[in-house]
Amino acid sequence: MSVVRDPSIRRKAKLWDRLYPYVSVLIPVSIIALFTIYPVLYALRISFYQYILTKPKDHPFVGLDNYIEVITSYYFRNSLLNTAIYTTVAVTCITLFGLGVALLLNSKLKTANALKVIILLPWAIPAVVGGLIWKWILNSDFGILNGILYALGIIDQYIPFLANPNLAKVSLILAAIWKEGPLAVIFFLSGLQLIPNELYEAARIDGGSSWKIFRHITLPLLKPILLIVIIYETITAILVFDLIYVMTGGGPGDSTSMISWFAYAEIFKNLNLGHGVALAVIIALMILALILAYLRIIRYEENVGYS
Amino acid sequence: MKKVSIVKLFAVFLIVSLIAACQPATPPPAEPPAAETQPPAAPETQPPAEAKPVELTFVTWSYGVETIADNIKKFQERYPNITVTHKDYSWLEYHDTMVAAFAAENYPDLVYGSDHWLQEWASAGWLVPLEDHCPDVTAYSAELAPYALEGMTYEGKVYGLSYYADTMDFVYNEALLKKAGFDKAPETWDDVYNMAKALKEQGLQYPILMAWSQKEGAFPEAWTSMVFSQHEGPNALFDADLKPVFNKEGSAAYQIMEWLVKVYNEGLFNPASLTTAEIDQVKAMQAGQAAFTIFPQYNMAEVNKPGSGEYAGQFKIALMPGKSHATVGYVRFYAMTPGAVNKGPEYVDAACKFLHYFGGKTDGEYVVVKRWAVENGLGFAQLPLYQDPDVIAAFSAWGDVPTIEQQAKLARAKEGLTTWYGAWDVFARAEIHKAILGEIPIMDALNNMANKWLELAQ
Repeated sequence: MSVVRDPSIRRKAKLWDRLYPYVSVLIPVSIIALFTIYPVLYALRISFYQYILTKPKDHPFVGLDNYIEVITSYYFRNSLLNTAIYTTVAVTCITLFGLGVALLLNSKLKTANALKVIILLPWAIPAVVGGLIWKWILNSDFGILNGILYALGIIDQYIPFLANPNLAKVSLILAAIWKEGPLAVIFFLSGLQLIPNELYEAARIDGGSSWKIFRHITLPLLKPILLIVIIYETITAILVFDLIYVMTGGGPGDSTSMISWFAYAEIFKNLNLGHGVALAVIIALMILALILAYLRIIRYEENVGYS
Repeated sequence: MKKVSIVKLFAVFLIVSLIAACQPATPPPAEPPAAETQPPAAPETQPPAEAKPVELTFVTWSYGVETIADNIKKFQERYPNITVTHKDYSWLEYHDTMVAAFAAENYPDLVYGSDHWLQEWASAGWLVPLEDHCPDVTAYSAELAPYALEGMTYEGKVYGLSYYADTMDFVYNEALLKKAGFDKAPETWDDVYNMAKALKEQGLQYPILMAWSQKEGAFPEAWTSMVFSQHEGPNALFDADLKPVFNKEGSAAYQIMEWLVKVYNEGLFNPASLTTAEIDQVKAMQAGQAAFTIFPQYNMAEVNKPGSGEYAGQFKIALMPGKSHATVGYVRFYAMTPGAVNKGPEYVDAACKFLHYFGGKTDGEYVVVKRWAVENGLGFAQLPLYQDPDVIAAFSAWGDVPTIEQQAKLARAKEGLTTWYGAWDVFARAEIHKAILGEIPIMDALNNMANKWLELAQ
């Protein structure tokens, strides 16, 4: 074993030791700065300027005008209401669907293993393709859903699902359940499999009914997973865009115009980048608030768990 | 201590990012493109032997892609030094896709344009005036239908050479009408209503179908054609100062909206119209699902194509029902972007050759325009083609040429073609939907449309 005696080498090594943490941090921070911080700040800046795409050389500073204009418009209120309705119903349905199917798959069902794979398929399909599939299923001329309902005698004429404001909303929610449900199933299934069997056995010996076992053992122990599912699906629902883009284009009228669609329409249809980015900032703040709420709840749960 | 240093480092990056983000959003004005100072290139029939190779990019919407490829092949054979790379996007996504590309200054050299986007794109500098770069293009103007020339002109300059120009036509299924006891086409919107009612009583579920999906660009053109037909003379929608005049009870727009609400409520208007795009509209008509529709004239060749269904040959054009029978004439055209100009004079020269070949004359003939007309039934802006025996023969196979000509004479360019027309037309689609669905009163919809117009005009 040799010892480095050359003081210059030792000095260099010492210097490198001191610099190493900074260099290690510098690389990821540079990447984050380039691809996240810079675009976010740039977008934030644009939101304070009038930025009409057809006037590329004229961007006066307008302060909070973009925010005020979008927030006070009917279309913002309408898209916010649509988003709230869609999010509430879709998240509730996805959670119940996920929990129900996970309980089924966690049972000793013979086909459970095969079903676990099959059920994941919609989640693996890109949202745009999923939207197209649903558009075809719901088609008012040759859609399979109309075909089945007609063949069963449930309807006497084909229903234009996507041309009716209420049915269009329901159709979007159906497609969302189909697309997002499998992920919720997997989350719940992993949570269920972590619950020790001994707890169920003890409850059964004590004469607990299935409902009581579910209510007092399964549900409390699934609470962290439930929170994750609800928060994740809420964020996904608020940000929904692909399904609207493919299935309804925000229509009929503006019945399926959600907040993210509104932001898109402001940029690409109205060509008002300032409005669109202001909306994007508002959406980001909403999501941030949700994430903070989620982190707070998780921290609270952990504290309760440890105490 | 170290932790504090890392935080400081991060703060430095944050500040740097902030400073970078706050740099002027507008790039400094570019040097004037070299081509603008060059004398305009004259079209040549043969390239000079020493011509430099040039690669042009050409973006279109997805229609007749094989024909486009074949036209490009023939063009390249004629000009061996020019290579054209073609890219196409769905018609329904075309506007948004191009806006995204243009806003990012990602310019193809040549693109398809449309009259309802011209003002928007030209005012943003996304298209260049052709006559500044290919001066010979103005020689075609005298031979163009006025509505088509108007649709390709912005601030007095020509921005395009016509790919095709067409009218929005009212089309009916003659066999279904005869079966219902009608031996002539409807002349007014009341006639259409009465015939539709009779057809429904005889079992046709929804006699009227439109392609009025909010993504369908032809939707506002069809609606405007209905308004034009119910109005005598110009200013059906806007006055000479571009102020909205349609949001008045009794206006042509109000009458048309009332009619639409009535036929919707009485189950004569297929509710699926609000989600139907043009391709599905054509298929539904071929299947006999509706007796009346409005679509761009070029679809006549498709609906009447022999072997396309039980009703092939039964679809006829009637003059747009209403008081004046006027309709919308529109134009889609080839345009040049600053992409070609910025690359230099040889690119401008190649682009001009391309434009002349595709939208102009080659060896004294509108070769490509005529090909689209004869093979695909696309209408045209070039009036001399109405006398072309090949065109007459082709059009006679699916339509009544005198009616086509008569309707073309009654065609007008859309009113209010301004830089904000594109944004307004998208907005108007949702308002028309809401009024038809009964979500808001007709007057509210028209007022919303008028207010949006005034807001955009500011």
